[in-house]
Parts: sequence; C-alpha cells; structure tokens
Amino acid sequence: MNKLIKKTLISTVLIAVTFALYHNFALMPEYQGLDEGISDYIITYGLNDTGSLNLITAVLYDYRAFDSLGESTVIFGAVSGIVLILSRKMLPVSSKGLSFIVKRTLGIMTPFIALFGFYVISHGHLSPGGGFQGGVILAAISIIFSIVYGSAFDYRRYSPQTKTVLETVGAMTFLGFGLAGIVMEGAFLNNLGFLTAEKGTLISAGSIPYINIGVGFKVGAGLAIIFYSMIQKTFEEDF
Amino acid sequence: MAVLEIILIVFLIFSAVMAVRFDEELISIIFLSIFSLILTSLYLLHKAADVALAEAVIGAGLNTAIFMSAISQIRHGDSD
Repeated sequence: MNKLIKKTLISTVLIAVTFALYHNFALMPEYQGLDEGISDYIITYGLNDTGSLNLITAVLYDYRAFDSLGESTVIFGAVSGIVLILSRKMLPVSSKGLSFIVKRTLGIMTPFIALFGFYVISHGHLSPGGGFQGGVILAAISIIFSIVYGSAFDYRRYSPQTKTVLETVGAMTFLGFGLAGIVMEGAFLNNLGFLTAEKGTLISAGSIPYINIGVGFKVGAGLAIIFYSMIQKTFEEDF
Repeated sequence: MAVLEIILIVFLIFSAVMAVRFDEELISIIFLSIFSLILTSLYLLHKAADVALAEAVIGAGLNTAIFMSAISQIRHGDSD
C-alpha cells in the first residue's frame, strides 16, 4: 500500500513536470531565420547599449551575464567537489624547488606576469581578454611558484582559507552587481546606467569592469585551490 | 595567409595524432601543449583574439600543469 502511494506520487510529479516543460517550450518564439538574428543587433547597437568597446565582453557580462553567472557557479561546484574528495591532509611538507638562478629569475619576472594578469582583467571591456583569462593568468603565477620555489612557498603565504575568501568575495561582487541591477534598473544583472562614462576610458561601460574584477578573483582563486588540492599528496613523497 | 593556414592545420593534425599515439604520457602531454599553441595561432589568424587568449592560457598553460601533477602522482605509485 505504501509502495503504491509512493509510485502514484512519483508519476504525478513526473507528469506535472512534463506538462510544465511542454508549456514552457510552447512559449518559445518561432524560428525567425538568420537574417533577423540578434548578432546584427549586437554588432550595430552593442557599443551604444553597453559602452564596451570589446563586444565579446559586452555579450558575456551584459547581454548574457546570466549564463556567465552559471559558468562561475560550475567552477565553484568543481572546486567544492575536488576539495571535498582530494584534500585530506591540509599541511604539506615543502619540497626544495629548482636552482638559485631559476628562483631569482622568477623573482624578477613575477611582478610583470601579475601586471599582465591585472591588465587583462581591468581592460576586459577595451581590449581582448576579460575576467576569466586574467584570472587564469593569476592562478598560473601561484602554480609557477609551487614548481620553482617548492610546494609550500605559496601555501604558507596564501593559505587555502585566504583563497576561499577571495573566491567568495569575487562571487559576491558578481551577485551584488546583479542585485543592484534589480534595485536600480529593474532587471537582474542589468547594466548600471549611472556608472557609464565616456566610451573608451578605463572606468566606463557601467558595471562590466567591476564584474570582470569579481570574476577574475573568483576564477584565479578557484583554479589555484584546485591545483593545490591536487598536488597535496605528492609532497611527502619528495622526501 | 592561405599557405600559412594550411601548414598550421597540417601540424595541428600531426600533433593531435601524436598525442594519441604515443605510449609515454609525458610526451603525449607535451604534444597536447603544442596542439594548444598551434590552435592559438590559428585563432589569431582568424582574428578571434579573445578565444586565442583563453586557449593559450588554459590549454597551453593550466592544462599542462594540472596534467603534469596528475602524471607525477601516477608515477609515484601507491598514494596513501
């Protein structure tokens, strides 16, 4: 009897979901051909709508910002899963790293790599690049440190807790600008009109640069966490 | 332009086949990295600078590092 009720309940829920999905898809507009597609609209009016010279960033963080939010949620899920499965020991033993010459050379090069990463993030609305690419460059610095200076160098300075805080701050920035869009412009992740300035300047294009900075910190910290939780077991076998 | 593109595509297919065919994992990873570099220049040739930057950073940089760390874990044998 109990089983019968359970089965009826499950089939009712399934039928209801099917019905809802069918109605949802019935609401979609008909296929209108490639001539009246949205790409022409974005190419023609994208600069005036968003103020972003790089139209790809305009699509990623303004027209399709909700999809980008989903992407960063996917990265957050991957980081959570990998940390949950792989990191059992939280304090690794350091390995020695490479020779003196490589260490000094990297010491001279690192500020320039970091500068390039921050440039790619902050100029995402002007030149090719954006939050995602710049964030991966910042994560690459942390990975090079673990190869050249030994595994625990970066770990001691920026612990996984710090990186988790950075990732959360990035995600909160993204969500915060989305909620500000609701309050000020009437739609989630809408571009904030009062932040726009003259086109082509560094601080322009509404909320796009700030969302870029948030995504950059989130992606960089997340990928660094993934790398460090992957190498944790190899440390102790180096000695 | 067209000749350069054909040469790059030939090398792209060559490195992809090599990455699959080699038994040694380390050489496979290096060929995969070369594949990403050639793909980056192809994207740049077609004026897709955003995708080229993403491919260079993720394909040639991050993937290689993560695969290398995975390989070193496999080489060390029994972990825990």
